[in-house]
Parts: sequence; structure tokens; C-alpha cells
Amino acid sequence: MMELVGSILILAGAAFHFSAGLGMLRMPDAYTRMQAGTKATTLGNTLLLAGLAFYHPGWSPKLLIIAYFVLMTNPVSSHALARAAYSIGIPMFGGSGIDALRDRDRKLRSET
Amino acid sequence: MIRSLFTILAIVLLGAVFATIAIGYSEQQSLRPLAESYVQLVPRDLGAANVVTGILLPYRAFDTLGEVAVLFMVAASVGLILGAGHRRPEERGEDVQEAARPSSEIVQTGSQILAPLISIFAAYIIMNGHLSAGGGFQGGAVIASCVLLILLTYPEHQINVAFLSIAESLAGALFVLTGIIGLIAAGGFLDNHILPLGQFGAFFSAGAIPILSVLLGVKVGCELSVILDRFRPQP
Repeated sequence: MMELVGSILILAGAAFHFSAGLGMLRMPDAYTRMQAGTKATTLGNTLLLAGLAFYHPGWSPKLLIIAYFVLMTNPVSSHALARAAYSIGIPMFGGSGIDALRDRDRKLRSET
Repeated sequence: MIRSLFTILAIVLLGAVFATIAIGYSEQQSLRPLAESYVQLVPRDLGAANVVTGILLPYRAFDTLGEVAVLFMVAASVGLILGAGHRRPEERGEDVQEAARPSSEIVQTGSQILAPLISIFAAYIIMNGHLSAGGGFQGGAVIASCVLLILLTYPEHQINVAFLSIAESLAGALFVLTGIIGLIAAGGFLDNHILPLGQFGAFFSAGAIPILSVLLGVKVGCELSVILDRFRPQP
């Protein structure tokens, strides 16, 4: 029973990783590719580690630490990368339409 | 058309070469005589659960010392090449770069949480070198990754290079000194029998190997940190 639950979780994690790969190939610009990769791999990794914890309950503390580490690093690093890409002026895909950072900068500039 | 044909041909030929290797490969069922003697000898003779560390530190000590020396020379030459240009950018006739953009709040908070975690992990790797995968070199590299994170988050942060250099030199001197003590008190250079072996698999065991691991970790971590600091644009 435990192994079945673990297998289903690992399979779900693999499916999310697959969607991450698909997003990297199919998304139109750097920013959308980045968010596809980050969100899907973060959840996929967490599911994989949860599945492993069902397989080997003794590993749970270490797996928890690894999951915490992935949850901490993955979004922060992709945030930093996306900001760096934005600041050197990598163009956005026209269809996204929203640029919250530009709007915030304009608002800050008009206030001062 | 011809070009893509050549590409396909090259891929097929490469595939054929690798296929023969892959088909002819059979996994070894037993250890080779040399590996088997090491696997039996290291836990019995040195009291180290991690055979690789046992080979790396006491058995192949000169080799390890050579690697440390190579790393030291790399650090010195990087310092010589990159650190020499202390002249101001205007004097070199280049455009003065504008000040680095401050990193965002998310990155700062993330690195404040991560830096202590990475340091603890590095200490764990170094201290468990004789028990599980890890050791001085690996832990030192993890320490340097923590320093790199701090440098990325706070580009203006000044690292105390003098302290790092002193710590590195001290660790290197103590490493060689431990080796010479092994030459006098035990069987040979960097022999780990100068301290009691202790219980097999315990945290304090395997003689002098943990001490050597710590010294190596400090040395490698300081060296790589200095190299990383040298790669920053000098003010």
C-alpha cells in the first residue's frame, strides 16, 4: 500500500517534470519559459521526494531537508535570473501584455 | 541537403561506435584484487568507514598534498593575474562602470536564510568525511559556494582577504605538520595512527583523518573564496 502511494506520487512528480520540459520548449519568450521551468520542477521535485519518503520512511528527515532546500532555492534563483534578464533588456513576448515591474517603476518615479 | 546527410552519417557512425561499447559492456560481478584488498584493509587498518577517504588521506598522502599544492598555485596565479590591476578604471581609459544594481529583497532574504544552512551543510560534509561520502575538498567547495552566494547578493560587500589568506596558510602548515608527526610517531607521512582509532563508525574515530579533513576543508574553502573574490571587478 505504501509503495503504491509512493509510486503514484513519483509518477505525478515525473508528469510535472515532463510539463516543465514541454514548457521550456513551447513557451514564447525567456520569462514564460523560466516560470514554466521553475513552478513545474519545484512541485515535481517535492512530489518525487514525498514519494521517496513513502518508499523509505527512515529517510524522511533528510528528504524533508532536501525539499526545504529546493523550495528555498529554486524560486529565488529563477527570480534573480528573470530580474537580471529584465534589467539587460531581453524583450518580452508581445502577447503577455502585463509588465508589473515597469508599472511599479513608473509609479515610484511619478511619486518622487 | 548534402550537409544534413553528412550530419546524419556522422551521428550514425558515432552511434555505431558507442553501440559496440554498450553491447560489449558487462558489469563486473566481483571486485578486482587491488580494490578488494583496499576494501578489506581500510576499515581494519585505518578504522575509516569511507574507503575513498581512507585511500585519499593516509595511503595516497603525497598525491593529496600535490593536489593541495596545485590548488594553492592556482589561487596564487589568479591573484597575480587578476589582482594586479589595482589602477582606477579611468586611468586604464575605460568607461567607468555604474555602481552595481542592488539585489532585490527576495534575493537578500533568501541568501540570509540559505547562507547559514549551506555553512552547516559544509561542516557536516567535512566532519563526516571518514564515515560517508564527503571530506575536506568537497566541504571546502560548499563553503566557497556560500561565499559566492554572499558576493552575488551584496556586490559591495568586502571580504576580509587577509584573514582568509592567514587561515589558509595556517591550515596548510598544520596539515603538513600533522603529516610530519605521523612520520615521527607512526608508520609514515600523514599516517593516521597518531591518534587512537576509536570505535569503527563512531563520529570520533579513524585516528587523525577527521583532523586532516577539517584542515583540508578550511584550506580549500579559504582558497576558493579568495579566487572568487579576485574575479570581482576591482574598485
